[in-house]
Amino acid sequence: MARSAIVVGSGAGGSAAAWALAKAGWDVLILEKGRHLLPGLGTPSGPRTLFGNDEVKAGRYFENQDIVLEPRTSRTQDEAKNGTAYSFIGDVNTLPTVVGGGTIHWDAKTPRFWKQDFTMLSDHGPVSDANVADWPLTYRDLAPFYDEVEELLGVQGDIHKMPKTTLQQAPRKKQFPMPPNPPMYGGSLIAEGAKQLGYHAYPFPMAVNSRAYAGRPRCNSCGFCSGYGCPIQARGGAAVSFLHDALLAGARLEPRAFVYKVRTNAKGTRVTGVSYLDDNGGKHHASADVVILALSAIETARLLLMSRTSKFPNGLANRSDMVGRNLMFHFFTAALAVFVGEVHAWRGPSTTFTIDDFVGPEKNAVIKAAGLPYVKGGICEVGASTLLLEEAQSYAAIPNTWGLPHKELMRVSPARSHFAALNMVGEDLPQVNNRVDLDPSTKDVYGFPVPRITYSSHNHELVASAFYGPKLAAICAAAPGAIAGTFLPLFLLNKVGGSVATFSQTRHIFGTARMGHDPKTSVADAWGRAHDLDNLYLADGSVFPTSGGFNPSLTIMALSLRMARRLAGKH
Amino acid sequence: MEIARRTFLKSAGALGLLALIPQRALSAVFASAPAPGHAGRFLNAHELDTLRAVCGRFIPGPPEDPDPGAAEAMVPEAIDMLLGAFTFDPPLIHAGGPYSNRPPPNGHDSFADFVPLDRHAELGWRIRIEGTKGIKAREFAGPVVGLQQIYRSGIAHLDARAAPAKFVDLPAPLQDVILADLTDSDVQTFVGAALANTFEAMYGPPEYGGNKGLAGWKYTNWPGDVQPAGYTNDQVSKPDPGGTRLSVASAKAIEKFLPALGGRAAPRDAWWLGRASIVRS
Repeated sequence: MARSAIVVGSGAGGSAAAWALAKAGWDVLILEKGRHLLPGLGTPSGPRTLFGNDEVKAGRYFENQDIVLEPRTSRTQDEAKNGTAYSFIGDVNTLPTVVGGGTIHWDAKTPRFWKQDFTMLSDHGPVSDANVADWPLTYRDLAPFYDEVEELLGVQGDIHKMPKTTLQQAPRKKQFPMPPNPPMYGGSLIAEGAKQLGYHAYPFPMAVNSRAYAGRPRCNSCGFCSGYGCPIQARGGAAVSFLHDALLAGARLEPRAFVYKVRTNAKGTRVTGVSYLDDNGGKHHASADVVILALSAIETARLLLMSRTSKFPNGLANRSDMVGRNLMFHFFTAALAVFVGEVHAWRGPSTTFTIDDFVGPEKNAVIKAAGLPYVKGGICEVGASTLLLEEAQSYAAIPNTWGLPHKELMRVSPARSHFAALNMVGEDLPQVNNRVDLDPSTKDVYGFPVPRITYSSHNHELVASAFYGPKLAAICAAAPGAIAGTFLPLFLLNKVGGSVATFSQTRHIFGTARMGHDPKTSVADAWGRAHDLDNLYLADGSVFPTSGGFNPSLTIMALSLRMARRLAGKH
Repeated sequence: MEIARRTFLKSAGALGLLALIPQRALSAVFASAPAPGHAGRFLNAHELDTLRAVCGRFIPGPPEDPDPGAAEAMVPEAIDMLLGAFTFDPPLIHAGGPYSNRPPPNGHDSFADFVPLDRHAELGWRIRIEGTKGIKAREFAGPVVGLQQIYRSGIAHLDARAAPAKFVDLPAPLQDVILADLTDSDVQTFVGAALANTFEAMYGPPEYGGNKGLAGWKYTNWPGDVQPAGYTNDQVSKPDPGGTRLSVASAKAIEKFLPALGGRAAPRDAWWLGRASIVRS
C-alpha cells in the first residue's frame, strides 16, 4: 500500500516535498490556509493567473496575509523583561497566505548558501549573547539538491561572471539553466561604481525565465516583480514549478484549510495526523504515515506550540525548549544612488545584479573593540527603485507632504526615476530570546492565539550595518552620473520605525526549530525530522541554525527535496 | 478525503466564473457617478462634497496646477465606491487580471472582471470597511473602527474645526491649515486614511474608479500596466531619451526622504491602518 503524507503549507518547502513524494507514488494531502488564486493549477491546461500590473490589488491583501484576520504582535527583548505583553500589532513579517506561499510574489533570487555558513561555530567560535551553531550537514550534502531545484525552477545566471570566492564557497558543476536577463540600466551604473572601487557585481541568479522554459514564457521586465504575482508566469516558484506537477501526479490540495493541531499517539512517540478547519469553519481530522510542516518559520513554531499535549507540555517536539527560539530576520542596510538623469530602475525583475563582497566574516580592530569576533553582511540587491503608488506613499511618510509639493515631487520623481537603491540583506545572528510564542490575549479569525514575536537586534547586526553601510554608499557615489550616495543604517531605521515590524520586513524568516545533532539543543535532525517524534518533519526556514547572508527559498527547497528523497527511499 | 477534493473543486470553480459586473456595466457605473450636491454609494451629498474639497487639497488641479488633480480624476467618487464596496457584486476590492489591454478597444479588459471575495476575504474587508460594530464574529482581535466610520467622523470633525462655517466653504488656504494640523489627532487619523485612499485612486488602475483619463499616470509620465508587452531589452538596459533632470541642490534636499523608505508606523490604537514599508525583498 502507498505510504501517505500530510503536508501543511503549499509554499517553497511544502511544495517541493509534496512533489517528490507524489512522484514517488505516495498519497499526499496538502493543506494550505490561504486562498487558491491560480485556477487551472494541477490540470492539463495549466494555471491561469489573476495577477496584473496592479499596485492597488497588491496592497489590498489579495495574496497577502490579511492582518485584520490574522494579526501578529511583537515586542522587544527589553519590553519582554519589563512585562510588556506587546507593543505592536499588525504586520510582522507576514508572508503571502495563498496557494504557492511566499513564492507567489517572491523576488525569486536564488543564491546558494556558502560552505562557511555550515560551520561558523567551529571555524570562528561563539559570539557572546548569540546562539551560533554549526549545521548538521554540509554544502556537499546539499549541492546535488541545489542543482536539481535550480533545474526545476528554471534559474538564470552566468557561472563565468561569478566571483572566484563565490565559486569556491558555493561550487557549481555546470552553467545555469538559462542566461541572465537584460541588465537593468540603473543597476549597471551602480555595478560600474562597484568596479571603480574594486568590488564585483555580477548577474543575480534568479528563478526568472530569460527564455521560454518549462512551458512558461520569457520575462519581459515589466517591473512588477518583488511583491507582485507574475502576470505572465515567467517566474518559477513553488506553485508552477512543483505543486502543479505534484497535483498532476495525484497529490490533493485543500486551500483555506487552517491546521490548528498536530495529533500524536497516546505514548507521544509518533504523530498520527492533523486537525484543521475548512473554508466554513468545519472541523476535520486527517491521518497519514508522515506529517510535514512547512508553514514558514513563525507559523510552524506557532503550530507546534499550539499542539502541546501532556507528553509535550511546552509544545510538540519541544523537549529541547528550542521551539520558537533563535528566530532570525535578515536585516536591510539601505544605500541609495541619486542620479541627475532618469535611470528607470523600476523596469526589470527588481534587480539584475548582486555583490558578494560584503558577505564576510570581517574581522578587524574596530569590530573587536565592539566586543565581536567578526561581523557578517550578505548579498546586495543592486539598483532597484519604486513603482508609482509606492513612490507617492514614500513621500507621504514625511508629514504634510501633499498639495502642490506632492505634485511637484511626483513630476520630478526622485524616488522612482532618479534613485537606484543598493540594499544589503545582512545575516542576523540567532539569539535564544528572539522568539515566537503564543500571544496571551490576541486571537486570530480562527479563534487561536496569534504568534507573538519578541525580537531585538544583536549588537552584531548594528555594528555590521554601520560597518558595511558606508561602503555601500561609496559605491553609490562612484556610479557614473550619480550626484549623491547615502545610506541608512539599521539603528536609524530602528528609531524611525520604533518597532521590529518596520525594520525587519525582509520577509526572510528562520530558525524557530533549528536542526542539529543534539536533541537537547535542537528540534530537528539533519533531515528535518523532529528529534522527539519519529514521523514529524519540518520543511521550511524554521530548521536553519543560522541565517547566512543569502535569500533563503532555494535552500529551503533543497533541504526539503533532500528530506523527501530520503523518505521515499525508505519506502 | 472526499471532502478535500470537493472543497478544492469548489474554490477553483468559484474563480473560474466571470465576475458579475461586465466591463460595460462597470463603465456605466463610472459614467453615472454622483454629481456635486448628490449622495454617493456611502457618503451623503455633503460628505462627498467635503471629500472632493479634501482630495483637491491633497492633489490639486487647475487653476492651481496645470494638470488634473484628484477631484478631476474622480478620486473622491472612487473612495466613496470603496466605502460602499459591498453595494457591488462582486465588491470592487480586487481587480482581475492579467491584462487591461489598454487603451480600448485593444481587447478584453480583464482588470474590469473583479475577483469575487471568498468567505474569509469578505470578512476581512467587511471589518476593514464597516468595522467590527460590536459583532462578536468580528471582534476576535478586539474592536476595529472601519473606514466608513473614519470618514464619517473625520468629515464631521473637519466641519467642527471650520465652525461656524462648513469645511467645504472655507478658502483653500484655511482648509490646508486644518488638514495640516499635526496636533489634532482626529484630523490626522482622517488624513492618514484619506491620503492613502487618494493615492490608490489617483495612481492605481482606473478600473477602481479613479485615475480618470489616466490623469494620475499622464502627469507623472508613468506607463501604467504594461503587460503583455513589457519592455524591450534596450528600454531596460539603456537610458531613455529626454526625461527630467535633477539639480545637485534638489538631490541634496531629497536625501531627507531616505528615512521614508522605512515606511510609516500606524498609531497604536488604530493598528489596522498600518501600511507595509516599501523596502522590498
